[in-house]
Amino acid sequence: MSEQVRSQEEIAARVKALESILIEKGVMTTAAVDRLVEIYENEVGPQLGAKVVARAWTDPAFKQRLLADATEACKEFGISGLQGEDMVVVENTADVHNVIVCTLCSCYPWPVLGLPPNWYKEPAYRAQIVKAPRKVLREDFGYDVPDSVEVRVWDSSSEMRYWVLPTPPEGTEGLSEDELAHLVTRDSMIGVGPAASPVS
Amino acid sequence: MSTGLRPDATELGDARRRVEALVAGLPGGRPGEQAFNEPWEIRAFAMAVAAYSNGQYEWSEFQLSLIESIRQWEQGGRDPDAAPWSYYEHWLTALETVLAGSGLLSESMLDERTKQVLATPRDASHQHAHREPVAVDLPLR
Repeated sequence: MSEQVRSQEEIAARVKALESILIEKGVMTTAAVDRLVEIYENEVGPQLGAKVVARAWTDPAFKQRLLADATEACKEFGISGLQGEDMVVVENTADVHNVIVCTLCSCYPWPVLGLPPNWYKEPAYRAQIVKAPRKVLREDFGYDVPDSVEVRVWDSSSEMRYWVLPTPPEGTEGLSEDELAHLVTRDSMIGVGPAASPVS
Repeated sequence: MSTGLRPDATELGDARRRVEALVAGLPGGRPGEQAFNEPWEIRAFAMAVAAYSNGQYEWSEFQLSLIESIRQWEQGGRDPDAAPWSYYEHWLTALETVLAGSGLLSESMLDERTKQVLATPRDASHQHAHREPVAVDLPLR
């Protein structure tokens, strides 16, 4: 065992190196590892983004700060971890629906949303969501954006990562910030689904 | 028509139960006890399970390696210069150990490849910020 303290970047590189060696040697396939990661991908992070969204729904001043500078506003929740990359939150309204993609790879605001779901990294999603956003949302995600609403697709890069502030669902009056956070799904912050409705 | 982008939830639930049965016997292996904090941790976790599933080692070998790595850290734990606690670093060490044991890996090979990874700029073609939407689907009416 190596005794020196490694940085997170070095360890991440080591894990990546190990994976590439094992794939070359035919020990495993990327798909097999992805399948396993899929089981746990929901457990890193999305609850942080949900807390941020719930605060933005209940605190207009915070929402202003979030939309003005998401990287700074998220620090109020102790969220950092991005190395110099900026986060930008785009707000859904009655007229505009936003959805995020990384057209070239899988750039993703993981400190708030956790690991990207596998489909986010697939060439199919990356290409199709740009070509026909409304259609992909309807056919692949069962999410019907009203015809009167404009759909904007935002391309994250390693410099700037987008995520979505969904509209609050109906019937949430009187819910606490904690209860609201439970309604904020990962998909709603990617923009491929709505926030969940409260169970009455 | 769906392109089948999304995984089936029931299938994922079954897969998860199988993995959890596997890790339940490891130190700190109870569900929820060792949350993932970094993307590499979940990757390392998945690789160990995938290599085992592929018949590269016995799970008990991995278990013993993990226990040994943690024990070594605990013995050196009073040294202020020693590495801070990271469950998944022990996990990675254990994985490297069992793979080296079955002759698949050497430390120098891995060190060399790690240097290459570090020398390659991340997302080399994708450094610039895109400040406008990449696509807009206008209202239909």
